[in-house]
Amino acid sequence: MAETAATAPLDPLEPRALVAPHHDDKSLNETLLDHVWRKPGKGWFMLLGLTISALGLLVIGVTYTLARGIGVWGNNQPVGWAFDIINFVWWVGIGHAGTLISAILLLFQQKWRTSINRFAEAMTLFAVMCAGLFPLLHTGRPWFAFWLFPYPSTLGAWPQFRSPLVWDVFAISTYLTVSALFWFVGLIPDLAALRDSSKTKLQRTIYGLFALGWRGSGRHWHNYKIAYLLLAGLSTPLVVSVHTIVSFDFAVSLLPGWHATIFPPYFVAGAVFSGFAMVITLIVPARKYLGLRDVITDRHLENMNKVILATGLIVSYGYMMEHFVAWYSQNQYEFWTFYVNRATGPYAGVYWLMIACNVITPNIFWFKKCRTSIPIMWVASIAVNIGMWCERFIIIVTSLSQDFLPSSWGIYTPTWVDWSIYVGTLGLFGTLFLLFLKFVPAVAVSEVKELQLELKHAAHHNTHGAH
Amino acid sequence: MEATVLDSWVLAEFETPDILVDATRQMREKGFQGMDTYSPYPLHGGSEALGLPPSKVPFIALCGGLTGMTTALAMQTWMNTYDYPLNIGGRPLLSLPAWVPITFELSVLFAAFGIFFGLLGLSRLPQPYHPVFESEAFRTASTHGYWLSVPHATGQDATAVIDQLKALGATQVTVVTGEKE
Repeated sequence: MAETAATAPLDPLEPRALVAPHHDDKSLNETLLDHVWRKPGKGWFMLLGLTISALGLLVIGVTYTLARGIGVWGNNQPVGWAFDIINFVWWVGIGHAGTLISAILLLFQQKWRTSINRFAEAMTLFAVMCAGLFPLLHTGRPWFAFWLFPYPSTLGAWPQFRSPLVWDVFAISTYLTVSALFWFVGLIPDLAALRDSSKTKLQRTIYGLFALGWRGSGRHWHNYKIAYLLLAGLSTPLVVSVHTIVSFDFAVSLLPGWHATIFPPYFVAGAVFSGFAMVITLIVPARKYLGLRDVITDRHLENMNKVILATGLIVSYGYMMEHFVAWYSQNQYEFWTFYVNRATGPYAGVYWLMIACNVITPNIFWFKKCRTSIPIMWVASIAVNIGMWCERFIIIVTSLSQDFLPSSWGIYTPTWVDWSIYVGTLGLFGTLFLLFLKFVPAVAVSEVKELQLELKHAAHHNTHGAH
Repeated sequence: MEATVLDSWVLAEFETPDILVDATRQMREKGFQGMDTYSPYPLHGGSEALGLPPSKVPFIALCGGLTGMTTALAMQTWMNTYDYPLNIGGRPLLSLPAWVPITFELSVLFAAFGIFFGLLGLSRLPQPYHPVFESEAFRTASTHGYWLSVPHATGQDATAVIDQLKALGATQVTVVTGEKE
């Protein structure tokens, strides 16, 4: 693999550089590590203040929920699942792009992944943390959350392993653990670089502690290369399995609008769709703030927009198929759900917002002008995030609020506690992300250096390969 | 297994990764044992130049994965079929298809643990102190320096080794001595 990578010509269709050509190892090092040593600017502190305030809302919401019970949420009969599951699925979906970028693109040897994978993996990790909070709180008594796992209880009871909810527990905890390991393994060489370019003893000690004594030894790299590749290989099916299992939470039930075989692929595509949108939302301001335009180039952004377009079309196809099958099956409940309740019912506004954001918005990326315009893509990415949140709201709330028996229908309205916990997780995510941007290299430095050497070799080969 | 660790090393810095790999191969052909390269990213052809056997990480990962798979299948079968049988909608007590998701997840989890701890174990990490860190110049190894270490018996004259490294293109050569591992 190393040989082919080194001698392969640059992609002839994409002559624009992935790493600005004037860099060498030393200057890359300075560019990519500089923001860790630099004192953060006013903007960073202002943003941190904002996200910490939002985090305060989380603390208030969670405290109130724990003190009073989940009755303070808007959940009712028949809508027993609402914000807790909407936000859970939304956050997990956002996390998936991180794994996709780092793992699947690595296996496909897509070189453009190198500059954005660290960033995307961090996003995964923080998003899954936020996701995990919701089902945990929804148990009502999170201090008994260990009941979800098989443990030798005095009652002699075990979990029911035929339930997708139990599968979810295993899927999410595995996903969080493997993502964290993958992220940390990728970070080790860069932590060593931080240790060795640190200026004070304290910095050196702290980064040295996390670098585990990494010294770039060839014998270590020998194991490291294969370990990293294997972790990527494992993460790829893992990411697909996780969202498939999340979709089973719905598809395995009998509710109209949920009981559909298309759910697993449609959920996975939706996850990638929203995840890539979140990467754009975060990376556009971050690369400006960190001065990383040389390594996170416009070509990276354009490629991500292409992925958003492709997965957006898959999601649209999913919507189409749901509607088609609802008509084709001639099942009156399914028909009611899709054509009456969702499109014209009490939540029709959310439904049409979802269509506008998820079906119409991504199509602007057919045009190169939109794919390469920073303001357009940034606004579009936020629209996609909103649209995907609306999608989960529509799937969960409309199906539950009006199912088979009109006498048992009900309306769900979120309370201030619901909103403050949701906004609070945005704050948690933002806070973790800002701290990540400050203390850890946001770009995988060692990988960019390796890529840059490969590109140089390739360019050299192209100029001298003719004879 | 790492080669025997001696008391002293001759540390040589080279200008580019290609020169380092070339020098490593030539030193090994001259019969030097237990050498190691240091670089900010994996060197192309570095493992071959050091003459390293194939990595054991994949095997450890496989063992981890198989352990996870067996654990998950045994756990679910024992818990839901024998120890606490649950009749869910008349499904068979041994519903193997329903065991698949957790079996997959645990296989991945244990394989990932195998990879991570295998990597650390085979690399003898965490290891906060190593004699090569005695050289202040060596700090570039993780940022933009390419280094080669050649074990050397403490107290003996290292001039011959130093001269050979310089002939192969080393830009600076130092000798570090530290405690045995």
